[in-house]
Amino acid sequence: MLQLLESDLELVVKSGFLYLPLLYDPAIAREIQYGPTPDGSAEHSIEVAGKHFIKSVSIQSILTGMEGIDADYYGQVERECLRKFPVSSTLEGISPDSKLMTLLLKVMPYFIRKNKGFTRKRLHDEEFLDFLGDRIDIPQSFREQADRYLDSGPLLQRLNDLEKLEQKVEPLHDGPISVEVLGRWLHEALEMQIVDQEIARLKKRLRDRERLTEAQRNHFCTLMYIAEKGALEIDGFGLYRIGSGDDYLVYKRTGEYILKDYYARSYLFPDCRVAVLTMRPFGPMVLEPYKHPFLRDHTAKQEICMKGFKSPDELTADNIIRLLEGGINALLYGYDARRRNGYHSLDPTLHYVKTIEFEDYLINNDEPHAVRKKDWDEI
Amino acid sequence: MTDAETKKALETEESQEILPLIIEILPGHAAEGLIDVYEPGSYEGRTLRKLCERTLGKKKWSIEEQLIIEDITRQLQGGKLLCKGEEIEGIASGYAVTEQTEAGEKYLYVPVRAIKPQEGGIWQ
Repeated sequence: MLQLLESDLELVVKSGFLYLPLLYDPAIAREIQYGPTPDGSAEHSIEVAGKHFIKSVSIQSILTGMEGIDADYYGQVERECLRKFPVSSTLEGISPDSKLMTLLLKVMPYFIRKNKGFTRKRLHDEEFLDFLGDRIDIPQSFREQADRYLDSGPLLQRLNDLEKLEQKVEPLHDGPISVEVLGRWLHEALEMQIVDQEIARLKKRLRDRERLTEAQRNHFCTLMYIAEKGALEIDGFGLYRIGSGDDYLVYKRTGEYILKDYYARSYLFPDCRVAVLTMRPFGPMVLEPYKHPFLRDHTAKQEICMKGFKSPDELTADNIIRLLEGGINALLYGYDARRRNGYHSLDPTLHYVKTIEFEDYLINNDEPHAVRKKDWDEI
Repeated sequence: MTDAETKKALETEESQEILPLIIEILPGHAAEGLIDVYEPGSYEGRTLRKLCERTLGKKKWSIEEQLIIEDITRQLQGGKLLCKGEEIEGIASGYAVTEQTEAGEKYLYVPVRAIKPQEGGIWQ
């Protein structure tokens, strides 16, 4: 489609359809004169100023299908268009399809203990939000602030701003049209379509908000508090926002752990946070300045070197869980004392390049926390 | 053995005979797993591996529990069961710690993790 808009073709609009120039030769002339039309209509080709044009696509279908035809272009127009009507980042953060909601409702429940005793009931989103609300101390002032949000004010304001636009795009008149004019018209029509969709979405959200129960108001308050604060940690699982958008670093703490070297000496590694960023490239890293055989240096935010690692194509809850687990497993169970795999060896070797040393992590095997761990390949 | 360790060992030895053993098999680094209860008389002298295999071989699980088993099975493809960082070939009660419910009932608890190993490093 974009290729067409970047061309210098002469086009014709008729009855909502786009007609493209037709290469005219005797065979095509016969086909035009006698051949059946695919849809039974008489006008599958027209003649304008002595030139022949063939019926192609419906202009409305280009508009309706633009998101699928060219997602990048559509996304660009959408961002430009809605940027004029900014929405509170807090409200963005708690929309159902936000990354924050995925992290809170799909990833977090996996890593934290929700049930008391030996019940292992899977919690619904609402139940999990109740659980979160109980674990977070939300100040009263914030509850009042949430109530003000829930009076629908900001949404109504945004809705009013959008409705003020009111400008309509005139339908295209039948007749010849330049590619440039067509492109401009499509851009404007697409903007109007996006605004209409946003208005419909806001109206639905307002209707939903009017039906909120007391419990749902509490859930909203919890979500809004987390979105506003931009950070949360429960039972060693946490997240914090990067920048002002909807991107986060989500992490899981490893706790202390022990690795053995070639001579079966124990090294006690301190707790660290294995994290995944919700932006590409998706891969596990260690947040704090840390040293380990699978980390190149002794600095913060180093990627964990994992054999055969392939970054997933998309960000899903399952992928985040797998990445975090992969990173933790690599740190805790991936080092092979015999092969000394990794950037560094725990014990200095003949070919050892003196960059990172682990002598300060050495502990006496008789110490209480020196739990014996067999190497993977012993089994 | 320190005094505290001796005391704990004695407590564990004492309680093994009368306390139920609760095994929790957790998929990966999940916080909650599959719970199975072994009454006194049904677990003594058995290895933790045997008990885990027996638990995973049971059929009567709820749908929620079946989902956990699926996750455990996925982790065990190329992975293994670990308790306190070790393989689970020892006697089950040897891994247990004594805990008690809110109502004060004591039991032996053993958490076992199904870990899919992720080899690290670029060098062989």
